[in-house]
Amino acid sequence: MAQEVLRLQNLQKSFGSVRALKNASFTLGEGEVVALLGDNGAGKSTLIKAISGVFPVDRGEIYVRGQKVSIRSTRDAMDLGIETIHQDTSLAPDLSIARNLFLGREPVNLKWLGVFAPLDLAKLRDAASALLKRVGISKKLDADALVSTLSGGERQSIAISRAMQFAAKVIILDEPTNNLGVEETHGVLRFVKEVRDAGHSVLLITHNIHHVFQVADRIIVMRRGEIVAEQTVADTDLLTVESIITGADMSALLREARAK
Amino acid sequence: MTIAAEEEMPGAKRGSSLIRSPQFSSLIILIVLLTVFAVADANFLSPLNISNMMAFLPELGIIALGMTLLLTAGEFDLSVGAVFGLAPVVVMLLVQNGEASIGVALLAGLILCVAIGAINGLIVTKIGISSFLVTLSMLLVVRGAALYITQGFPLKSWDQPGFFVTLLAGSFNIGSFRFYTSLWWFVGLSLLAIYILRYAKLGNWISAIGSNRNAAVARGVPADAVKIWLFILTSVLAGLAGMISAFRISAASPVAGTGYELEVIAMVVVGGTALTGGRGTILGTIVGALMLRAIRNGIVLIGVPGLAYNIFVGVIILAMLILHALLQKNAARG
Ligand SMILES: Nc1ncnc2c1ncn2[C@@H]1O[C@H](COP(=O)(O)OP(=O)(O)OP(=O)(O)O)[C@@H](O)[C@H]1O
Ligand SMILES: [Mg+2]
Repeated sequence: MAQEVLRLQNLQKSFGSVRALKNASFTLGEGEVVALLGDNGAGKSTLIKAISGVFPVDRGEIYVRGQKVSIRSTRDAMDLGIETIHQDTSLAPDLSIARNLFLGREPVNLKWLGVFAPLDLAKLRDAASALLKRVGISKKLDADALVSTLSGGERQSIAISRAMQFAAKVIILDEPTNNLGVEETHGVLRFVKEVRDAGHSVLLITHNIHHVFQVADRIIVMRRGEIVAEQTVADTDLLTVESIITGADMSALLREARAK
Repeated sequence: MTIAAEEEMPGAKRGSSLIRSPQFSSLIILIVLLTVFAVADANFLSPLNISNMMAFLPELGIIALGMTLLLTAGEFDLSVGAVFGLAPVVVMLLVQNGEASIGVALLAGLILCVAIGAINGLIVTKIGISSFLVTLSMLLVVRGAALYITQGFPLKSWDQPGFFVTLLAGSFNIGSFRFYTSLWWFVGLSLLAIYILRYAKLGNWISAIGSNRNAAVARGVPADAVKIWLFILTSVLAGLAGMISAFRISAASPVAGTGYELEVIAMVVVGGTALTGGRGTILGTIVGALMLRAIRNGIVLIGVPGLAYNIFVGVIILAMLILHALLQKNAARG
């Protein structure tokens, strides 16, 4: 495997009596696309929220490039080069595209004024336009347009380009193709490939196994808070993965394990 | 992947969005109202009446500035009217009991406001109770405290001229108009609020938090801290307004500011700030503050019976909100 970028070891997280994450460990290599699969409630979002600093884990360790790190806030994760596009939240609809692209990392003048520093509006707009051009959605989108006027696919593209722009080591996408049309879905998958080709690692959560086989190098399957299988895409097929996810065909699983 | 306004020229787009913007429609209505009042009663634009309106305007207007920022971040504060009453009462009690000089007492009053705002903010953000419930309870606590420590009696306010009186409630004449220094407070604070909301990094955060809190948090924006500071700001501005008012009329009443919370929220939403957060406009709030002031004043002048005037105020507010909602719907359809 390529050089290790992110390694999780024995992550555990409970919400009251719900053990959302029981004992999750895996490794993500440089320039690798790993698909994280599992049924609703399997703990996928919980896992990536822990990595991206939305909430702390109860136990376990996270290593970035071999260094043990503690991720206590979303800011910590961003500073470590981990950019996440969450399932339920990514953009502020009442803000312009440009303001969304730089939210939390606004270019400012007079930096010493802290949070009262004036935004560098010219730079904000220029950088946003350049970025929109780079990801190939420039023709129609105005950096000053409000995000509330965009389609779901356009929003997703904006969120992904935002993750790309900060040259993150790891980009995490939680169900990025949800609710998207055919064309938009292809756009997102194309982004994933572009991002990988640019040297970023991608952790992709999805319910669509076909997408997985199009873009992923490796598959990780979760069930009830645990990682139950890990396979390279080349070594498996659609039906096998499907049965692992649902847990329907345990015998096939066992056979596989023995065969290895 | 197309957006509706694609064919329009960028300039045209910006122009039409200004005309469609809520603060602009509020401004038009304000001008219409002022014209109607001026035609109906010549006294409406008399120096005396304008001076009168300008004396009241800043006191609610200053609170409305804080409330606009708070609403934009997705929260609101019902305790402002009570804080408006309590702060000057505490100041005057400290002075009258000889426990502090006027300067120290004012400072103590403001610190009390900071504490009230901080408690509101901490309970809302850290315990996760809606700001409606938290600040409604705080309204009762604060109003109750003002009544209890005064035993319900108004206090005679500090009326000896001096630095602080001039600073908060000094007055000056321009021609036959009489203006209070509070107007400068309002102008200065308005400019500051416009700067913060539109041009500063903080304003970007405030709008983002109100628009989609989780998205803002995911980008590393300290949403809770921002909200707590906005609660503190709103509380402090309410206390400051209360002190200005008490100095101007030389009396501090424990029931001063009753009902101001709703009046202030009305000013803010009439100006076009969304009650649901994310969209705030200080210019709109200034227009809203002027409008409510003009309505209250004009309605009396044109001879609507005093007891009926809340009917008119309510109807006009409702009409404004309907207008904003229709414009909003139109804009969404593009
Ligand atoms: N904040 C929370 N508080 C309480 N329980 C939670 C919370 N977040 C998640 N859970 C629970 O943890 C479990 C895992 O949820 P998670 O969101 O990680 O699932 P998921 O694999 O992302 O599912 P989906 O495919 O539906 O998005 C679920 O049982 C869920 O109800
Ligand atoms: Mg999920």
